[in-house]
Amino acid sequence: MTTGTGIALKDVSRAFAARETVVQALDRVSLDCPAGSFTALIGPSGCGKSTMLRLALGLDAPSGGTISVAGQSPQAAAKAGLTGVAFQDAALMPWRSVEGNIALPLDVLGRKRSDYTGKIAGLIDLVGLKGFEKALPGELSGGMRQRVAIARALVTDPQVLFLDEPFGALDQILRRQMNVELQRIWMESRATTLLVTHGIDEAVFLADRVVVMQSRPGRIGKIIDIPLPRPRLPDVFTTEAFHALEDEITEALDGH
Amino acid sequence: MAIDAAGRRGRHLAGLRNAIILIVLWELLGQLKLVAGGALPAPSAVLIRFWQDRGDYPLHLLATFEGAALGFFIGNVVAIAAGILFAVSPVAARLGRGLNVAIFALPPIAISPILVLTFSGMTPRIALAALGCYFVTMSATVTGITQTDRRMLDVVRAYGGGWVALLRLVEIRSALPAILSGLRVAAPAAVLGSVLAEFGGGGRYGLGVYLIGSLGRADPPRLWGIGLAATGMALLVYALFALIEARITHTTRAVTVAATPPGTPLAIGGFAGAALTLISAALPFAVWWGFLKMLGTPPMIAKTPLGVIDYLFFAQSAETAQLRLLSALAQTLPLTLLGMTAGLAFAFALALASVVRPGIVRSFMPVALVTQTMPLVALTPLLVLLLGRGPSVILWITVSVTFFPAFVTLAQGLGMVSRSALDVVRAYGANPFIQLRLVSIPASLPYLFAAMRLAVPRALLGVMIAEWLATGTGLGNLLNQSRGYLDYGMIWTVAVVSVLISILFYQIVIVVERRVLQRRGMQPAS
Repeated sequence: MTTGTGIALKDVSRAFAARETVVQALDRVSLDCPAGSFTALIGPSGCGKSTMLRLALGLDAPSGGTISVAGQSPQAAAKAGLTGVAFQDAALMPWRSVEGNIALPLDVLGRKRSDYTGKIAGLIDLVGLKGFEKALPGELSGGMRQRVAIARALVTDPQVLFLDEPFGALDQILRRQMNVELQRIWMESRATTLLVTHGIDEAVFLADRVVVMQSRPGRIGKIIDIPLPRPRLPDVFTTEAFHALEDEITEALDGH
Repeated sequence: MAIDAAGRRGRHLAGLRNAIILIVLWELLGQLKLVAGGALPAPSAVLIRFWQDRGDYPLHLLATFEGAALGFFIGNVVAIAAGILFAVSPVAARLGRGLNVAIFALPPIAISPILVLTFSGMTPRIALAALGCYFVTMSATVTGITQTDRRMLDVVRAYGGGWVALLRLVEIRSALPAILSGLRVAAPAAVLGSVLAEFGGGGRYGLGVYLIGSLGRADPPRLWGIGLAATGMALLVYALFALIEARITHTTRAVTVAATPPGTPLAIGGFAGAALTLISAALPFAVWWGFLKMLGTPPMIAKTPLGVIDYLFFAQSAETAQLRLLSALAQTLPLTLLGMTAGLAFAFALALASVVRPGIVRSFMPVALVTQTMPLVALTPLLVLLLGRGPSVILWITVSVTFFPAFVTLAQGLGMVSRSALDVVRAYGANPFIQLRLVSIPASLPYLFAAMRLAVPRALLGVMIAEWLATGTGLGNLLNQSRGYLDYGMIWTVAVVSVLISILFYQIVIVVERRVLQRRGMQPAS
């Protein structure tokens, strides 16, 4: 059992009933993310990585096994305001301004917005959206909306951060920039982070450990440690060691 | 953006041009007395008459407006609250289904005499207007809430938000455009309800009172004036909500396309499911019974479900009552079915034609929308003037009342057929007819069924209004006569039978719809 702000999955299964068959999205998966660690989940579509994240967020209930977030049930951790989340799609409320969207978790948790005005302004600055405080999501570009979602995930100073392909919709250049930014933010906060991603380079650049998953049934294939020193700078993408790790993950994805 | 604005201005100009052409044509027809020997007066004649009657209008307008506005307010508040309840609780939705279908299927004209006999003063008008609003707004609220973007709900849930937080922060706000469009459509229904309750209400003021009073005098311009005044009242409210809706829609539309389909409703099967269905079907009768008991109306006037059964099967006069009812039904039902079928077929054909020639919808839609806001009662006397008092007038009224809502539903449905699906067949050189056969017609099936569901009660209402006001036949006439003879048993019987028939048709459509759509892997359109 992980103590502190870790995430622990023990023998977790999740099955979905389809038309005539049962799809085993997750089959007895166990994973331990120690407090303050950065874990990346990577794998083909349908390997259950998003299901795993939804379970840890308390959006879905497992068919078997136990999940704990910061030593509590996922729902309890969410209600206590310990977690933060950003989805692949920004999922902003189109009627709320940038500020209003960032403040949404505060409204859900019943916290006073006035205590956070400084925090919100700081986050808007951090994600480079100064001057857009009152803009509506419809007036922003895709990359800007995604940055609002990141700021929203950080507004409660979460001790556990869940990221579901947060940069999946962005182009490669913007994605690299956001990766660098995210690493900086993470190193300041040291929140336990679980990142679901399709990008091998993104996983290697950001994570302490990359969990490679396999499908049918969804399970963990291999866990690869990333020993690169931090802070990792953008030129790390071109180093020998980086490429070697990428190759190792590619092989693991192929099932070797 | 600039092209967009120019295009919109062009369309507005075209619409204005069409309207002017229409009015000029109308004026010519009227001046030359070309239609039905002057039954279609020229707009100028209508306006002149309106000016001469200007002393009469304010009190009548005010009285109808009071009933309609209060009913609109009460009915919609209840409808929105009920809609939220049904959207949040699947069990409540299952329980309320019977009551909802009954209210939907209720031809307002059938219960207007009952309300008039049971209540006094403004109450019947308010009640009928409220009943007219309820279903539209309730179902719009449910649709709006259940179609909320799942991703937004996930964000709130991920922070531990329960159903209250979901409602407060996401669902109600995101359902707002749907609710507003429900209110928009409810406006004419409220005016219709108020006017119908005025028919037998014995009040001194109201457009309905004015209409009945003027019906006997051969004065087409005045009847047109009253009809247009009722339409204008409905149109004003309609326009108000359309305006609000347009202003808030751009802040509600999702910025990107949702990846996950909306959730499927909770399926409750087995014993619990059967029990829910049973209670749901019994609820309308329980409400009917409870309501009368609560009001303490004397049983002579207020018939409970048992009272109606007694009147129709066991009382001394049961046999004559049955005969009268059956002969009325024999007159009403064939015409209802025929008119409904013709109206739907016409609407479907025109909607399909509009796929081949999109110009048709664009020039026709504004006219269709205006007629949507025209309360049926205002339309009927005008058609009577045009077509006389024979059975053909019933048919025409039924066709026209089913045609417009069906056309709007179908045209909107066909407009949602995916471009790329059409492009695939076009890429293989398919001509418009092959496109229709392979893509548009199959894709529009859910909307055809939605249009049929919509048409059933309207068709019956149309026939009954025509029978009451024009032909003196069928159920409508039976209702009017029984009102005159104070035959309370028959009044209740006609009301109950017309609701049951309407529900029966509705359920047949639902069953066929489920079968057909399920086999094709499609979802019903709301």
